Amino acid sequence: MRYALKYLNNIHKIEVKKEDSALYILIDRQNFVVKNIKIKSNQVSFQLNNKRYCVYGVLKDRVSYISIDGEYYTLELADEKRQKRDTSTGGDSVASPMPGLVVKIAVKVGEKVTAGTTLAIVEAMKMQNELRAPRDGMIKKINFKEGEQIDAFEPIVELS
Amino acid sequence: MIKKILIANRGEIAIRVARACRELGIEVVGVYSEVDKDSLHLRFMDDAYCIGEPAPKKSYLDIQKIVDAAKKSGCEAIHPGYGFLAENAEFAKTCADNNIIFIGPDYKALALVGDKLASRNTARRVDVPVIPGMELKSSDLETFKKTANQVGYPVIIKASLGGGGKGMRVVHTEKELEPSISAGQREAKSAFGDDTVYLEKYIEKPRHIEFQVLRDNYGNTIHLFERECSIQRRHQKIIEETPSVALDNNLRRRMAEAAKQVISAAGYTNAGTVEFLLDENNNFYFLEVNARVQVEHPITELVTGVDLVHQQILIASGQKIKLNQEEIYQRGHAIEARIYAEDPENNFLPSPGEILYLNEPQGPGVRVDSGVYQGWNVPPHYDPILSKLIVWAEDREIAIARLVNNLKDYIILGIKTNIGFLKEILLTKNFLEGNYHTHFIDECKDELLKKKKNLHAALIAGALMQSQTKKVTGPEILHQDSEQTTPWQELGAWKICKR
Repeated sequence: MRYALKYLNNIHKIEVKKEDSALYILIDRQNFVVKNIKIKSNQVSFQLNNKRYCVYGVLKDRVSYISIDGEYYTLELADEKRQKRDTSTGGDSVASPMPGLVVKIAVKVGEKVTAGTTLAIVEAMKMQNELRAPRDGMIKKINFKEGEQIDAFEPIVELS
Repeated sequence: MIKKILIANRGEIAIRVARACRELGIEVVGVYSEVDKDSLHLRFMDDAYCIGEPAPKKSYLDIQKIVDAAKKSGCEAIHPGYGFLAENAEFAKTCADNNIIFIGPDYKALALVGDKLASRNTARRVDVPVIPGMELKSSDLETFKKTANQVGYPVIIKASLGGGGKGMRVVHTEKELEPSISAGQREAKSAFGDDTVYLEKYIEKPRHIEFQVLRDNYGNTIHLFERECSIQRRHQKIIEETPSVALDNNLRRRMAEAAKQVISAAGYTNAGTVEFLLDENNNFYFLEVNARVQVEHPITELVTGVDLVHQQILIASGQKIKLNQEEIYQRGHAIEARIYAEDPENNFLPSPGEILYLNEPQGPGVRVDSGVYQGWNVPPHYDPILSKLIVWAEDREIAIARLVNNLKDYIILGIKTNIGFLKEILLTKNFLEGNYHTHFIDECKDELLKKKKNLHAALIAGALMQSQTKKVTGPEILHQDSEQTTPWQELGAWKICKR
């Protein structure tokens, strides 16, 4: 079984093989032997290199939220198609990385912008986040008005 | 004694205050905005009123709605918590005009300590050292230049009605002075509606040390020792401890006396905190008075055994302070870590959303002041604080170890939090040695973020979790070898659990 899990900006390829009582797991071409695996509702425990790990985890949609020994990891199941769309530099739309309130729309439809121009400002939890144009282009569509609530990853401004 | 109190706040502090009220046999009334109708704090109230839309201005900052709710529910007093209207003199006055007790200082004292220049002058009047700088309001560039030359560069421009770092500018040379003043004025105007800025000497590598003071309506004033709050990010405290390793008993006594003098001179009543900066040569300077119960008040409660919210309510009821200064001492060591919904790996971006899993730590010497529960959707409209983890132990070393262990046991999944970042701070050599100042995080933030060491175990756990879902087919599997059956098809999840 193979998986590709994305952590921060890196995609890690993982291959899981069963042999006798252990799992052989290949992570980015590095080999690991994992034993004594137990999986309960929100806990996964296993032995790796003679160390016992007790991991807390929740899986929602494509994302696993994981806590190990006070460290947190958010791992997204990578999808090749989706990956291409996400990482194409200078995409066609700009989305807010966090849910919040649209406090400012700084451009109009039809306006020409250069890379780095502030397009909109979204505020959450008393912090303002400026959304900037990823490339030169013209504003094709604006999907939100000032004062409206926005969810994370919803396109707010579209470029042509 | 007051019989019924309205708590004009939300989250962990509303719960903290509600607990104190119930212990004193006082009925509590809560308020909430539309988005907070399922919030944890409402479970601690005898009654609750919706006060409007989610935006703070339309609910928690709406003075009239809160006063109306207090009158309608027959409350004799309002506890403002911290933030929102806690230090708003107009709110305190509106309460007074409506015969409602504001649990905090009188509105005149509140207005005085809210103005930085005025409170600096109050401190100076009773010979408490202030950071050398301007004494009078001025917008004249020459006055700024002259003062800067007198106190010596670097200097700092600050907003008179300021807070949270807004309007602040550090200036290293005379050439930078004029543009920094204009920038500071613009920022102060937009943040506080007043463009008055002043200049003072910039203290490099200071420690932030504050003293908790109580003063009743009869002039009795006591202090409950210090809290060291030098671990800050963007002028927000995130880890606080008491006692401070920077103070010896002589310095502690002098600072405590200074704090009491400032509070008395300001005619201040109820609980207040006097903030000082301590420079590298152990000179202390008055910074400002915080006229509220502080976020970090629990560490003082744990080492002194005094319940500060009880004291606030008793003083507001018109009672005399029954504690004797000589009987208050610091026992052991306490540290607090603030748990925020923010993403340290993405520039500390706020991270509201649903808490999918929550496990709060418990054990000897552990206190969790929390405002959240599993399944709750943390709204994006308010401060990102979720809870506070506070520990007490016999000494500092054990307290740090206890806090680290309990941060590891504090599991919040589904949203991003700063729990891992807090743990890394506590484990640095400088923190362990007590060798830190207010720029600590700026100086080692990148290093703190690089310390993760369990990536491989996380990826293994992630793959094991993915394998438990039924739909691991199609595009989710990369380059599936056709001749190979998957171990999960062979096994099923539970077989491998056998030893």
